[in-house]
Amino acid sequence: MNASNSEETVFGAALRLAPAERANYLDQACGGDAALRQRVEGLLNAYQQAENFLETPAAPTLPLARTAWVPLAEKAGDKIGRYKLLQQIGEGGCGVVYMAEQEEPVRRRVALKVIKLGMDTKQVIARFEAERQALAMMDHPNIAKVFDAGATETGRPYFVMELVRGVKITDYCDEKKLPIRQRLDLFIQVCQAIQHAHQKGVIHRDIKPSNILVTVNDGVPVPKVIDFGIAKATGGQRLTDKTVFTAFEQFIGTPAYMSPEQAVITSLDIDTRSDIYALGVLLYELLTGQTPFDSKQLLAVGLDEMRRTIREQEPERPSTRLSTLADDKLSTTAQRRGLDSPKFISELRGDLDCVVMKALEKDRARRYETANGLAMDIQHHLNNEPVVARPPSNLYRFQKLVRRNKLAFAAATAVAAALLIGFGVSTWMFFRERAARREQVRLREFAEANEKKARLEATRSRRLTGLLKDTLRDFMRHEGFYFASTEEALVAASDHIETELQAPEMAGEFENDLKADFEINLGALSLRRRLEGLMEVHNYAEVDKVLQDVSVQESASQARNAPVLQVRATFQARRGRFREAARDISKLIEIDRKDFTYYYVLAPLSAANGDLPGYRQLCKEMLARFGGTKDPSVAERAAKACSIVPPLESDLNRIAQLAELAVTGKEVGDNNLPWWQFAEGLVEYRRKHYESAAGWMQKALIPIPFRYSVDNYRFCPAYMVLAMTNYRLGQVDSARAAFAKGVELSERTLPDFGSEDLGVHWYDVLIAHTLMLEAKGLLEEKTAAQTETLLQHALMLEAKGLLQGKAEKTAETK
Amino acid sequence: MSDVARILNDIGRGDARAADELLPLVYEELRHLAAAKMALETPGQTLQPTALVHEAWLRLTGDENRRWNDRTHFFAAAAEAMRRILVDNARRKRAQRHGGRLVRVELDNANLATPSDDQVLAVNEALEKFAARNKQTAELVKLRYFVGLTLEEAAEVQGISATTAKRRWAYARAWLFQEIRAQRS
Repeated sequence: MNASNSEETVFGAALRLAPAERANYLDQACGGDAALRQRVEGLLNAYQQAENFLETPAAPTLPLARTAWVPLAEKAGDKIGRYKLLQQIGEGGCGVVYMAEQEEPVRRRVALKVIKLGMDTKQVIARFEAERQALAMMDHPNIAKVFDAGATETGRPYFVMELVRGVKITDYCDEKKLPIRQRLDLFIQVCQAIQHAHQKGVIHRDIKPSNILVTVNDGVPVPKVIDFGIAKATGGQRLTDKTVFTAFEQFIGTPAYMSPEQAVITSLDIDTRSDIYALGVLLYELLTGQTPFDSKQLLAVGLDEMRRTIREQEPERPSTRLSTLADDKLSTTAQRRGLDSPKFISELRGDLDCVVMKALEKDRARRYETANGLAMDIQHHLNNEPVVARPPSNLYRFQKLVRRNKLAFAAATAVAAALLIGFGVSTWMFFRERAARREQVRLREFAEANEKKARLEATRSRRLTGLLKDTLRDFMRHEGFYFASTEEALVAASDHIETELQAPEMAGEFENDLKADFEINLGALSLRRRLEGLMEVHNYAEVDKVLQDVSVQESASQARNAPVLQVRATFQARRGRFREAARDISKLIEIDRKDFTYYYVLAPLSAANGDLPGYRQLCKEMLARFGGTKDPSVAERAAKACSIVPPLESDLNRIAQLAELAVTGKEVGDNNLPWWQFAEGLVEYRRKHYESAAGWMQKALIPIPFRYSVDNYRFCPAYMVLAMTNYRLGQVDSARAAFAKGVELSERTLPDFGSEDLGVHWYDVLIAHTLMLEAKGLLEEKTAAQTETLLQHALMLEAKGLLQGKAEKTAETK
Repeated sequence: MSDVARILNDIGRGDARAADELLPLVYEELRHLAAAKMALETPGQTLQPTALVHEAWLRLTGDENRRWNDRTHFFAAAAEAMRRILVDNARRKRAQRHGGRLVRVELDNANLATPSDDQVLAVNEALEKFAARNKQTAELVKLRYFVGLTLEEAAEVQGISATTAKRRWAYARAWLFQEIRAQRS
């Protein structure tokens, strides 16, 4: 913005002068900045020629023809992007759905949903892009995949999804006259789908019957949840008179599915438990044929009253609700479930009443903590076991009950944990791989231990005890985020031991340890959720206030501070306070010198802080500790982290070996290969192997399918290295071209360096900018003309005190 | 309090999300107002965007004496809505011209002084680029070009001085002219 401001100021001043005086003025005003001068002259020239350009408004008067006021609409036969519309298959308050055909890269039929006019397309797409990673990771038979999003030619956002040919779950159940048990079976599958999404960090936000379609495969009904990510991208539904009332005719049911926290006007923190509420409403409707609050009645009482009802009024229990129905309505509803009226009511009374009401609790802390919890409780009911929802319960009985249920919790995948921590794109991949690797190692070690000794003996061995503890810690650290109460987490953890290691007698021993760990994690999680919510609405003042108030108890065991420190470091970095972030990460290293992640995350922070001695010391330590790694993903990260600024000559060989290991350890066709190739290329550049570096960078510049938005975080730094490489090879023109490309891409797609929020990929942004400054310096040795925008970046860095030493230098040259 | 008034208050309190809500409401209101007028007036007549937006303002806020920055937000949304309506309209007409669909053309009795559809689309495209570097000035262009406010009116709505508005307008015109010319060459 400043760039165009100075341009505007100089232009404005020049315009007021007589043409003859302008040259003199421009000499003075632009100083040595030839580019600025050229631009202003161009503008003055254009101004002369523009004459009356734009002076007549586009529509001094508007035609009164009706068509002029009807927004352009798509129709069958039209092409949107690479999709050809075949036929309209649905229409709702929020948009129109078409069946469409995709031709490339694969030929397939998809569902394409065009959102109605009146939304800010760019923001919708930006919000979708922000969640794309998470959406892409969802892989579940009961979830319709979301493939793509974009803007139509008429400027409306659209989403492309897996085509599901099915009917609304409520319609399907009624048409088939499904009995209660089969309805519950379908519902459990829906819960499992939602649980999967929650584990990948995706909240649906708009669960309702029309978003759950049932298809029949080989005679087996399969529910599919559609529209993931769309409610969030389109801003969710906020209740206003207008939006509710205008949308309502097409949208019956939505207010009925709105959770109390969604009904609060300024509600920021929608979380997984809002989905649990909507699942409760769905269950209510599947069982009774009614929603807890009648949509028409909700609407009739007006908006404020509607909000109040959703927030405060307790709905009737399902069985009570049925007994108040008119006789004929009750018997029709019962018949649709293959029952007579009295049997129908008695089936719901008791367990199912309690389960539904627990999911519909106004206070979300009292709802089921996870979708799995809800599904499990229904399973209990089906197995004739007592349900959790039914008071009174105590921890012991609760545990016994849950343990009887062999619900397998997948081993700690840690994918989700990386999302939670948000250290950047490459970190995210790192976590995933490391988790997979650790899992293998652990299982192998366990198998070995098992072979040697009898199982009982083995559980006593210290090694296995340590292993168990680690396993559990890992589990709690990663999976623990998904449990909202200590009890549930403990039960899950105990199950985890039983199923994974067949050592039930070990479970109790660690409960106290785990309890403490878990509470710390929970605190960190809620802190993170709060900060993320505030960032999302750009309330940076509050973010800073929260960060300032974070208290880290020095007296407590240091390890306990880690989760909170991680969160604080992440958000300090996103806010551009690298010094503070670096301080927290240094503390984390003190706490756990064995965790490679911390070293690797600290590197670009130190570089950005201009703390070269600190950076080099860090690299030394990183190489000493992890230089001998056999793990290609650690090797790649270490090599890259140590090459952000030119490394010490003495470290180069070690770094090169790491980079080598990283690339050769990768299979061809691995989706992440270009990231690895970038690291190798960067290291080759540091070793002055310019030809080879250029080759690697060309490879790093190949897009990764379905990761396009993240590609830019690799492309920008890759162009910078390519620019420097070409420059060293004497190809100055291609060097400049690569540089310009990188700058343009960075300005267009990466968060601005001076912006309030560097985004979740701040790590990669830092590397990109550090390399950009280096490239700029190198290229400018010969080219006096400064690119103004770059100067801006440098100035911003200086303003932030990041380049202390260089600030004076620049001042002198001015 | 009306929805729009509440949203304007929310914006005033710094609720960024509220701004997202404003546009659809204003957009719909403009279309409804226009439709209502069409029902009353004889075909072939025209209405002034400026008058339309002013009327929407009065109807939606129900108060002429709101703070100027309320007006800024409202008019920004209205200008954006008008931009979409006009650009949509221009695209539609172009599609028809290029042998698109055969529908009854009851569009305009186009006033020859009105800029051509191609110009509207070209300006729109260039303006999107311009907005990325200078949002406020782009808003000024929208108010002037798509709503038809005079420069003084636009300055008042934006809460800037007439001199500033004049400088920005000159800069934007030169910039957009240059951009469009570059695109065409």
